[in-house]
Amino acid sequence: MSKLIDEPITVHVSKESGPTAFIWRKRLYRVINILSWWREPSEWWNGEPVRILIRVTAECKRPGIYELCKSDSDWSLRRLLD
Amino acid sequence: MSFVHLHVHSYYSFLDGAAGPAELLEKARHFGMSALALTDHNRLTGAIRFYDAAKKLGIKPIIGAEINIEGGYHLTLLCKDMPGYSNLCRLLTAMHCSKSPDRPAATRSMLDSYHEGLIALSGCRLGEVPQLLIKGEPLGAARAAGFYREIFRHDFFIELIRHPSRRGAPTCYLLSSFAQEHGIPVVATNNVHHLGMRDYRIHELLNAIRLIVPVTQLPGPRTVEQYFKSPAEMERLFNDFPGATAMSGEIASRCNLDLELGRPRFPRFDLPVGQTAAGLLRKLAYDGTVQKYGGLTQELADRLQMELDTIEKLGFCSYFLVVWDIVRWARARGIRCQARGSAVDSLVVYALDISIADPIHYDLLFERFMHPLRNEPPDIDLDIDRRRRDEVRDYIYRKYGAENVSCVATINTYLARGAIRDAGKALQIPQATIEEACKGIHWLSASKLMEKAETLPELKDSSVYRRPDLKEFFKTCAAIDGFPKHLSVHLGGLLIGENRLSDLVPLEPSSGGDIISQYDKDDIERLGLVKMDLLALPTMTVIEEAVRSIKQGRGLDIDIDKIPRDDPAPFAMLRDGKTIGVFQLESPAQREMAGRLLPQTFDDIIVSLSLVRPGPLKTSMDKVYLKRRHGREAVEHLHPSLEGALGETLGVILYQEQVLRVAHDLAGMSYAEADGFRRAMTHDRTEDEMGKMRLSFIRCAMKKGVKRDVAEEVFGHLAAFAAYGFCKAHAAAYAVLSYQTLWLKCHYPAEFMAAILSNQPMGYYPPRVLAADARRSGVVVLPPDVNRSSDHYAVEDGAIRVSLSQVKGITGETIASIIRERGKGRFTSLRDFILRVEASQPILENLVKVGALDAFGKRGDMLAGVPTLLQFKRHTTSSNPPLIGDMPGQYDSTHVPDTIGAKQSAGPDAIVDPNHVIASETKQSFDRSTQTVRESLLNEREILSLDLSAHPLDFCNLDKGFTRIKDLPALATGRSVKLAGSVIRYQTPPTRTGKRVVYVIMEDGTGVADVTVFSDVQEKCGKYLFRSGWLEVRGKIQRRGPKSLSIIADVIKPLRQRS
Repeated sequence: MSKLIDEPITVHVSKESGPTAFIWRKRLYRVINILSWWREPSEWWNGEPVRILIRVTAECKRPGIYELCKSDSDWSLRRLLD
Repeated sequence: MSFVHLHVHSYYSFLDGAAGPAELLEKARHFGMSALALTDHNRLTGAIRFYDAAKKLGIKPIIGAEINIEGGYHLTLLCKDMPGYSNLCRLLTAMHCSKSPDRPAATRSMLDSYHEGLIALSGCRLGEVPQLLIKGEPLGAARAAGFYREIFRHDFFIELIRHPSRRGAPTCYLLSSFAQEHGIPVVATNNVHHLGMRDYRIHELLNAIRLIVPVTQLPGPRTVEQYFKSPAEMERLFNDFPGATAMSGEIASRCNLDLELGRPRFPRFDLPVGQTAAGLLRKLAYDGTVQKYGGLTQELADRLQMELDTIEKLGFCSYFLVVWDIVRWARARGIRCQARGSAVDSLVVYALDISIADPIHYDLLFERFMHPLRNEPPDIDLDIDRRRRDEVRDYIYRKYGAENVSCVATINTYLARGAIRDAGKALQIPQATIEEACKGIHWLSASKLMEKAETLPELKDSSVYRRPDLKEFFKTCAAIDGFPKHLSVHLGGLLIGENRLSDLVPLEPSSGGDIISQYDKDDIERLGLVKMDLLALPTMTVIEEAVRSIKQGRGLDIDIDKIPRDDPAPFAMLRDGKTIGVFQLESPAQREMAGRLLPQTFDDIIVSLSLVRPGPLKTSMDKVYLKRRHGREAVEHLHPSLEGALGETLGVILYQEQVLRVAHDLAGMSYAEADGFRRAMTHDRTEDEMGKMRLSFIRCAMKKGVKRDVAEEVFGHLAAFAAYGFCKAHAAAYAVLSYQTLWLKCHYPAEFMAAILSNQPMGYYPPRVLAADARRSGVVVLPPDVNRSSDHYAVEDGAIRVSLSQVKGITGETIASIIRERGKGRFTSLRDFILRVEASQPILENLVKVGALDAFGKRGDMLAGVPTLLQFKRHTTSSNPPLIGDMPGQYDSTHVPDTIGAKQSAGPDAIVDPNHVIASETKQSFDRSTQTVRESLLNEREILSLDLSAHPLDFCNLDKGFTRIKDLPALATGRSVKLAGSVIRYQTPPTRTGKRVVYVIMEDGTGVADVTVFSDVQEKCGKYLFRSGWLEVRGKIQRRGPKSLSIIADVIKPLRQRS
């Protein structure tokens, strides 16, 4: 099961290992593990860039699976997975 | 060998690939790949240039294709060797030429027949094995894999394509497990469709164009992953599939195709028993020479020996015999046929009767055509009577077998207009915006559009190119600039194979049904195959028809090939610029040149044809030549040794052959070396390469005692000329046709112009201008008449009768029906005509409107009667008898009021449109009908594309300030004039300064005028250029020669009606 979120987030990125943490709704989530990543085509005819989706295990109080989305330099939390 | 891309589409996948072969190879080189495959969809169109370019980069080319197979599946095939390549060609040919509605698609039996030497990969997501596994049919997948293994044995691989997505890569794992279970090796590929990741947009756009859907409605799944990934990226992607990337290198090492490009593969000529090709060619050449020259002088014998030795040494004897045989066959059937181009330089070609211009008389140089250092097959292009060209083509098919002959393809590519239209549709740009953006664009590349929109006057005022919301759109159009769209049939090219053509070239049917090669002419040449250019030349048809018409009408039997070439009358006509319809001499530039050159001899025609070329014009040699010709400048040679080469052209370089002679005489090069030098200069060279050639030329010349500054100056002339010069042999061959048509027009204008009008489209001018020109020559042009007109323009008591085929909408069946019925007896009334002829109501109405039935009554009456007569005809031909009262006799000639509504007249100051002739309120009566002259003219313009009754400008209330074109010759040079007229065409030839000059050809019913528009006027009035059909031109009369006349435009604007 997954829940669509689509909210902007702030992401800390390390050059070597990608996202290390993100802030969502004023809470800090530490990235434990990157599970997978992929790229998605966009509505380029409307000027949208390619989106990069990164599925991570992260924890705030307890661990969960999150889908982070990078579009140009903007980050959002796309989904929350159970 | 590390990772190699084995599944790669270029833009030769026709709207399913977004990169050219060269770009793909450059990327492979960048990544240090030692091999690369090209696997376009169902075709090898890009294969030869890919192969050639890869070899030059030191990359192993792997030729293949992703083919469709029955059931809608895909399969990737790669050629291991030459038998594999031949089988792929045969397979593609069989797929494309099959009768199946699903074509092109390979059947199991085709794969069974043509699999040797091929490696098969299971294909993309649409491959048979992947599809069946995705559908959950593992047994079906196993059966399919079993078939491929049986056919391709150890050369069958499961293709793993990993495009990460939200779902991971389930198909990859599915396929990998399946392969492991069945013991089939796997290989990693990426099904490349574009170069960089972001180029997926271009790929999607092309797909949308191909599928004729908006990009927003493209069928899924969409991906950005089909780009040219680096080996490292592929290794990372497949790190959990050990050996998958390494297998690509292993497969690449099995592919070792050597196409032997450049090796001549000429058709075999059937020789008499005991005869060799060389022996037969020698005999024919010597016999022909003796017959043409009345004997064999030492000069002729030496020349023949040299040419024949070269031809034999290069292995071209069979080729010459093939061409000789074709021409012999055509001539024996009265089909006019002759060589054009540099082949005319050859005495052997002349002796074999392939060309009609004497190379000894015109001092032509064989080495311009052929020499031992030129590593290319010869090229003898034939001009053939257009009407009978297909007879010659059919003969070749019969002679060499349909399997060994095909048409040559031309690759149609995107220019600006097509890119804007197609991309605009896919991106849902409003139609009006697309139309606005396409206006005024002619032969412009999409990548230069934005630059030209800033500089070209006709585009500068259009806001569409500056709209911020369209900026990305125009960038997208530029991105597909030059991309291939589809194949079409090359106009004249016919391919004759050494053996069965499909062993070497994949073939497919064109949209018109002709079988064409998947390669274009350049690739055909690289393959060493012979392309025969059989060019349908309407001028030859015109000559043939005019001569026949003269014989029929006047009883004179003219041998056009033997007319006197010193007849003064045609030359007088030429000097006066009265050459509309004359082959190669009718353009404004040629008519102007005639007025400056004042030609008096046949050789002057050769000069004229060669002077009006970019070479002389860009170097201003035309001016120098004319000054010397008319004694206004002394003839000087830069060096005494040039007198032999340039004496005949007064020290000016006019012909390509002279470049060879100059390099030979001044720099001591052999003619073969000199031709290599000429050819090197005609191609785009870097400054460095040009510098080296210059140094080499100067060094050679100085060795012969020529001073450095002289050698430098001569080289400068050669370099400027070489790229754009004209081949004298070609000019000499064309001059024969020019003179013949000039002579016919001079002495038999009715027959000649009737033949020209019958063979439209051809030449520079539309029928209405040709008909007006005929009238100016004193020939009456009569409207069509159902009792007199035929399917072509005919001469009738010295007048020209308009052809029935000129009537808009008329069909061949209707014309045949008219002629057939007329043979049984003349038509006597409208009723008689309608009852006997098969014609639809619109055609009948058109015939009435243009006066083809004027003999039977008034046009208005007849128009009113046509529907009832047709109804009556239907009754009489059906089982229902006609009703009383339907009897149509009353419509034969009784008066019915004019039912043609008068066209709404244009308001004051309206821009004139040729389709809405300016109305005069004064109606004039017209013979035999209630139509006004104006209405007749409207109908003639619309239905016949002719002005017979009047000219549109006759109805313009032009004030007295306007000058009619016929009056221009009487006016003084420099005089300001104001002209009104319709635009016939525009020309923008290259100029010395590089600044664009637009030449506008205008006509006003009294003549044709040439208007020159320089850049300052283009700046002011550019928005009307190319956009308005009718113009008002203010300018000054210019005379550059005693008889030349043109208008230098000061102001151009659309013609407006005076209120």
